[in-house]
Amino acid sequence: MSIGVRVALGINQADPTFRRRSRLRLAAFISPIAFLLLWTWVTKIELFSPQLLVSPFVVLQAFHELLDSGELWEHLSISLSRLGIGFLIGASSGLLFGILMALSKRVEGFFSPVFQAVRQVPSIALIPIFILLFGIDEIFKIAIVTKAAFFTVALASYEATKGVSRNYFEVAQAYKLPTYTLYTKIVIPAILPPVLTGFRIAFSRSWTILVAAELLAADSGLGHMMQMGREVFRIDIVMVGVVLTGLIGFGIDRIFKWGEANLIPWRTA
Amino acid sequence: MAYSVSIMTTQTLSRFSFLNSARGWLIPLALLLVWEIMSRQSAENAYAFASIEQIYHGLIEVISTGELQQGIAASLQRAFFGLLIGGFFGFTVGAVMAQWRVADVLIGPLYHMLRQVPLMGLVPLFSLWLGNGDPSKLVVVCLSAFYPLVLATYESLHQVEGKYREVGDVLKLSRTRTFIKILLPAALPNIFTGVSFALAFAWLATIGSEILFSAGAGLGNIMMNAQAASRMDILIILTALIGLLGFLMNYLINQVGKYLFRWRNLR
Repeated sequence: MSIGVRVALGINQADPTFRRRSRLRLAAFISPIAFLLLWTWVTKIELFSPQLLVSPFVVLQAFHELLDSGELWEHLSISLSRLGIGFLIGASSGLLFGILMALSKRVEGFFSPVFQAVRQVPSIALIPIFILLFGIDEIFKIAIVTKAAFFTVALASYEATKGVSRNYFEVAQAYKLPTYTLYTKIVIPAILPPVLTGFRIAFSRSWTILVAAELLAADSGLGHMMQMGREVFRIDIVMVGVVLTGLIGFGIDRIFKWGEANLIPWRTA
Repeated sequence: MAYSVSIMTTQTLSRFSFLNSARGWLIPLALLLVWEIMSRQSAENAYAFASIEQIYHGLIEVISTGELQQGIAASLQRAFFGLLIGGFFGFTVGAVMAQWRVADVLIGPLYHMLRQVPLMGLVPLFSLWLGNGDPSKLVVVCLSAFYPLVLATYESLHQVEGKYREVGDVLKLSRTRTFIKILLPAALPNIFTGVSFALAFAWLATIGSEILFSAGAGLGNIMMNAQAASRMDILIILTALIGLLGFLMNYLINQVGKYLFRWRNLR
């Protein structure tokens, strides 16, 4: 994996000391626990006003409250469904588009300049335009997630397909493989590892952009919950939101990582 | 035979290359045309699709009021200082983690824990803590440059080949001197790649934070004002400008990298 991909995903390839030695595994918990203790202590002596910082227990309490009232589930399921739908549309169309653009000179000639130009615009900068075009309803949020996923996956699959060695195609030609077999047996297995990595990056970008979109304009969703908490100065609700967005991003990234490790047994890196 | 075929293809390619580049213009022109037609259809459409004429007048307007220049200056400044401050701390933390095992064990897990929260998810928290203005924006931009550089520095220093380290051992260099004379120069090209990523993230965070924090100047703030006033023309100008500036910055930093590390053939 290139350093760029690792930076984008936050992966340490150089094994940290604590992972190499089993004796040190528990040491990995030292700093997070110390962090929580410091947090509790700071709130206990009220270094900052309780309006600005509340203890972890209060955050946990707010979490229970939101869970019991059913509010949290509502926001969470709406956010996740937006993410799922947008990501599915964007990633699948991006995958097809990327492969097509890499394999067909004609498609590349027509679309690559537009693609490369639009790619330069960060998704977040498109939010205001999307709001004007689509309003602030569901379509807007799904569209922005779709955009973020589409371009990332399209680029990854385009570059992956371009990177497939010509030798493979020549072998396929020598064996007179039908086009279908060429794709299922050669192209797809060859591009799978980098494309899955592209999925991972696309997912984390989609999640960030969705949270931003919900913060700006929404009547539901995790971002909206945080925004409401901020407006009524409920720092505990805001913090529940912060922790949850982190956990969800982390959890789904783990699923992709598991997929990378288990769906591609021949992967070396 | 193969030789002649390859010549044939290059010849045909060069003969039709203008056709290929013409193809590239076809879709943008068609889109532009559709856009223009849509904008002329009805008053309702004219509001969502700004005509080219409108966009041109909008451009003149934001330039003559000085709003655009001010916004560009504010955004570029924010991205630059964010990269500088966040990048400096990121480099320091990454280097310390790579050099001392204790720091690696202590900082690493905390870093990965805190990094999981999407930056934009931290916006409500920062707005409660630091307000809606420039301090909050700067913190978000700093963080966006900080995270990638910690990782890039840590990784690049770890990737330095063992034989270089051995040279340091043979010469009985102190740890500091090994770091300055051997590890850092060897890792620098890769760290610089990290810097170029940090720049891209910083630009993203600059625009994002300006969109989400309503107070102060910046391209993102102009966009949010334009959105509130339904000024599609201004939005299109600014969005294109943001893409262009990001592209130019990326190009510039890559050229700088090529120049600085011309002694390395790795890049």
